[in-house]
Amino acid sequence: MTMSEVRAVEGRVEPPYMPDVPAAFRPGEVILEMRNITKRFPGVVANRRISFDLRAGEIHAILGENGAGKTTLMSILFGLLQPDEGEIYVFGKKVTFRSPLDAINMGIGMVHQHRKLVAAHTVLENIILGHPRAGRILNLKRAEEEVVALAEKYGFRIDPRARVWQLSEGEKQVVEIIKALYRGARILILDEPTSALTPQETDRLLESIEAMARSGLGVVPFITHKLPIVLAVSDRVTVLRRGEVVARLDTKDVTEQLLAEKMVGRPVLFDLKKPDVQPGEVILRVENLSTLNDKGLLALKGVSFEIREGEILGIAGVSGNGQRELAEVLAGLRKPTGGRIVFEGKDITQASVLDRWRMGIGYIPAERKDVGSIGEFSLVENVLMNFYFDPGMARNGIIDYAKALRLTKELIIEFGVSTPGPEAKAKTLSGGNLQKIILARVMARRPRLLIAALPTQGLDIGAMEFVRKKILEAKARGSAVLLISEDLDEVMSLSDRIAPIYEGEIMGIIPAEKAKKEVIGAMMAGSRGEETQQ
Amino acid sequence: MWQFVARSLDASTIFTLAGLGELVDQRSGILNVGLEGIMLFGATLGFIATKVTGNYLIGFAVALLIGALLGLMHGFFSITLGVDQVVSGMGIWILGFGLTTYIGNPYTGPLGLERIPTVGGVSPFFYLGVVLVLLSWFILFKTSFGLQLRSVGENPSVAEVSGINVKRTRYLAVTFGGMMSGFAGAVYALYYNPVWNYNFLMGWGFISLALVFFSMWNPLILFGGSLLFGLLWQLSLNPQLFLPGLMSRYLWRTVPFVITILVLVLISTKWFRTRWGAAKPEALGVPYVK
Amino acid sequence: MRIGRYRLKLEKRVTLPGWQAALISSFAILVALLLFSVIFLLAHIDPLVAYKEIFSYAFTNRYGVLLTINRFIFLLLATFAFIIPAKAGLWNIGMSGQLYVGALAAFAVVYAFGGKESISAPLNPWIVLPLMVLAAFLGGALMGALAGYLKGKFDVNEIVLTMLLNFIAFWVVAHMIKEGGPFMNPQGRGESFALPKSLHAPLIFGVPFTIVLALGFAVILEFVFRKTTLGYQIRAFGQSPPAARYAGIRPFRIALLVFFLGGAMAGLAGYHYFGAVPGVYKIARTYGYFGDLSFYGIICGLISLNDPIAAIPVALLFGGLSIGGRFVQGKLHMGFGLDYALLGVLMITLVAFQFFYWNKITLVRVQEES
Repeated sequence: MTMSEVRAVEGRVEPPYMPDVPAAFRPGEVILEMRNITKRFPGVVANRRISFDLRAGEIHAILGENGAGKTTLMSILFGLLQPDEGEIYVFGKKVTFRSPLDAINMGIGMVHQHRKLVAAHTVLENIILGHPRAGRILNLKRAEEEVVALAEKYGFRIDPRARVWQLSEGEKQVVEIIKALYRGARILILDEPTSALTPQETDRLLESIEAMARSGLGVVPFITHKLPIVLAVSDRVTVLRRGEVVARLDTKDVTEQLLAEKMVGRPVLFDLKKPDVQPGEVILRVENLSTLNDKGLLALKGVSFEIREGEILGIAGVSGNGQRELAEVLAGLRKPTGGRIVFEGKDITQASVLDRWRMGIGYIPAERKDVGSIGEFSLVENVLMNFYFDPGMARNGIIDYAKALRLTKELIIEFGVSTPGPEAKAKTLSGGNLQKIILARVMARRPRLLIAALPTQGLDIGAMEFVRKKILEAKARGSAVLLISEDLDEVMSLSDRIAPIYEGEIMGIIPAEKAKKEVIGAMMAGSRGEETQQ
Repeated sequence: MWQFVARSLDASTIFTLAGLGELVDQRSGILNVGLEGIMLFGATLGFIATKVTGNYLIGFAVALLIGALLGLMHGFFSITLGVDQVVSGMGIWILGFGLTTYIGNPYTGPLGLERIPTVGGVSPFFYLGVVLVLLSWFILFKTSFGLQLRSVGENPSVAEVSGINVKRTRYLAVTFGGMMSGFAGAVYALYYNPVWNYNFLMGWGFISLALVFFSMWNPLILFGGSLLFGLLWQLSLNPQLFLPGLMSRYLWRTVPFVITILVLVLISTKWFRTRWGAAKPEALGVPYVK
Repeated sequence: MRIGRYRLKLEKRVTLPGWQAALISSFAILVALLLFSVIFLLAHIDPLVAYKEIFSYAFTNRYGVLLTINRFIFLLLATFAFIIPAKAGLWNIGMSGQLYVGALAAFAVVYAFGGKESISAPLNPWIVLPLMVLAAFLGGALMGALAGYLKGKFDVNEIVLTMLLNFIAFWVVAHMIKEGGPFMNPQGRGESFALPKSLHAPLIFGVPFTIVLALGFAVILEFVFRKTTLGYQIRAFGQSPPAARYAGIRPFRIALLVFFLGGAMAGLAGYHYFGAVPGVYKIARTYGYFGDLSFYGIICGLISLNDPIAAIPVALLFGGLSIGGRFVQGKLHMGFGLDYALLGVLMITLVAFQFFYWNKITLVRVQEES
């Protein structure tokens, strides 16, 4: 069967380049099947006898906590990893994927959570990268026309000539989807598709997903937390726990509570008890603060707020709206271009990072592997990151390692860090345990101001609950807390006041008890607080 | 005067050739700080081969071959074994400078062959360099392969999931880079200054490396930089032509290096970085592990 | 790869205990010497004979041992010049330039005291000698600090930078000692004036006092890196600059400091060879040779995994190898540059062995498939 015939038979999906897949498949026919997939890594079985099937026109979600084996399964499906046992059938044909190229050629497309795009290149260059139709000598004009036509078909809007680094997370995702479709994907894998989107962008994406399913594609979203998304969009859902399939359900039969229980293996408390603390005096006052991002563009545009003793201010927003720059400017890691930072009545706008630590500002960075810890250092040396300058820990320039060891042992016990011991290297810890040791060491300084950037991102539910509990403890002890999070539910359940941020501006500050999710969501997407509240 | 200009163009050819190889190398994400070592190998073995056989072509062929082999070796260390690229590059430099000293020593002295004829007063390699510059520019920015190569250097994991063989692309680039360095060395030893002496390059390779950093990783700008530095180098060798008596001839030799450092500092300033720095391949020097 | 019922398996190392590192390093040196045998074989020389000559001259011959120790001091200081910045993740390959400047600074002190005029100039060694050492230390340090400043302030690539500075220093030395330069030997042999006899460095059993400096710095550096706040900051920055910044460590200060100290070590090496080794006492015409020799410091640093104490035996071995290599080169009528060739082969073998510092290969029993 030639390519033109394929298009004639199918009629609806018309990618410019068609991979080597059988053409005639009807809605409802099984187009992908995984049988008894097992994958072992040293010390763990990441996937144990996992079976899964997908029909044409179906949206089949895979749900599981971090560490449940989703990433491994996804990598196997896309040819990045090879299973130790088990078989994969695509369009009824048994396949072995040695590389992503094999998977792509069988009509599988992938949209990554951590966007796989070359930031320095244009949208179009990214889409045609590695595409057989790109030609030896690039024919950008033809490709541009085709890409624009394809985007319009599913209601996406993109500027093919924009550089990827200029795009928002939502736009980047669109580029990835179009790239997969342009490659002729019939089966689309979506990794955490809504994790970086505003509620409005999420709605638009879900519509597009449904449109793609209607046109005969099979869609597999992999989802960790956003249970409502699963309910809203999928036809079936497969739940993974500890590398195994624990449930496969029709979405119409399930509730959020049921899914959460299946996923975690025990009933989950959705509510955290906020300690009742009267906010005291103002600890941090930020006036008109502005700063640039790494590209030299204005990323924070005159932000002002206050945080009091015993109060949590939550900064809610989609990634890339200036949160990172805000945290860094407060921690002293980034120079402000304007405005003032006042901490306990003192102007610290020009104070060094070290001075801020000494004054009682504690910072938990979002990048816990690259910034918050040193992988090749032992846990003792990692704890020292916030103590090497402390007069109690170092005298006359000589560090009291025995004391540091004692402190580390205490913190390991108090925070329940699972590790072979204080001399283990930080790189051997899991994400949750690493975050616990970072949290432990920052909290051990009893900071007057705690800046926590994405403190629970990528953690499993147990570690997540623990971290949240500890943040509330800090509040109860009278710390002022700046919580930066992309998880709106987290912000709403922990904060006393909520400040949605959009393109470097705070759109308004709303007390938690008056906050409505839709309103905050709209503010995160750029509408002004005053308008929405009216 | 014309002779001085012609000599400058000849000098610039060596910078262009070595720099071009390194540029392609770096565009694929591999840093080779050892290009001076490869140049020494190309120069020495090319020189010996020509001296023994009396045939220039054999000399150049040997230089290209040894360059390719050393490029492959750098590839094997840094791509396959995952050794730090700087360590591997330093290794190749020290290997080159150590071994060629021993190997070349018995051949110390002039080549003793008729000089390679010039075309319009300039070496044929200059024209070849121009062609290669244009060709590399076209391949890098106008072809599918160029896009793949640049993507591998920017973000190898993106290239991988787009169905590109990252390792193969990088191996191609390092082999090409090595060949160009070997070739540049041979042009030095067989044409520019056909006399073998211990550690005779004295920084040509390192200046070529610096030129790549200035070039915004664009062959055309690299060519411009090479012309400038060829002129500068020639001037530092013949200061009496323009500024007689200003400094001792030894101090004049420092001038190209001082200017290189000044330019390096200039392009490293924040002002410059936010405007031009974006051209730097993002994955440069980072080993790619799946 | 399968061998019978076993399979070779490659794993990433999580930790590398000291004894294992030492084992790998020793093995790397052995393999390098084995590879180097090829060069002897090509010259129709029995490698065993050659190595026996090398080692017996370097470590048992009365003259050879003294030469070895002098070179060992030089290499150890050059190694520290590499190690200190390397601990902060920065590459100093400017030891040759730094040692030239150190040597020039030391000779400038003598020049200032009028010691150029006569070999028998009666200068007070209690005053001038310490000043010479201090000048060499500061000269090298400032040359290093120049690189450190540009690295810290503008983040200039320090490899290219220090290498370019080497060439500058090389030509400045030429300017100073040749063709009418201020330090030119009155006899005009393209070398510097000779130190007055009164300034010849005191010897301890025939070994210049600089050995105390070199070994003392080994202990001091080990202590600094292991126990002090400063050492902690340098190591943290070396492991992860963003994490170090987060912890309040100032990158500029670290870059400046490590290059200052590293340069100082190289400066002392320059004083040692040109000012303290018996029989030299001047900046020789072949000063470039000693500059090149200092690149052995890179290898010593890499092979001792940047540990100042571990560098001692390595520097001693390499000192002996290069002295012995020079010796057999003459004795067995081999071409010039044998010690250079050895440097190259050692370095490239070591590069290949880097792989084993981070990976291990184990034999695993293959599970029988039913």
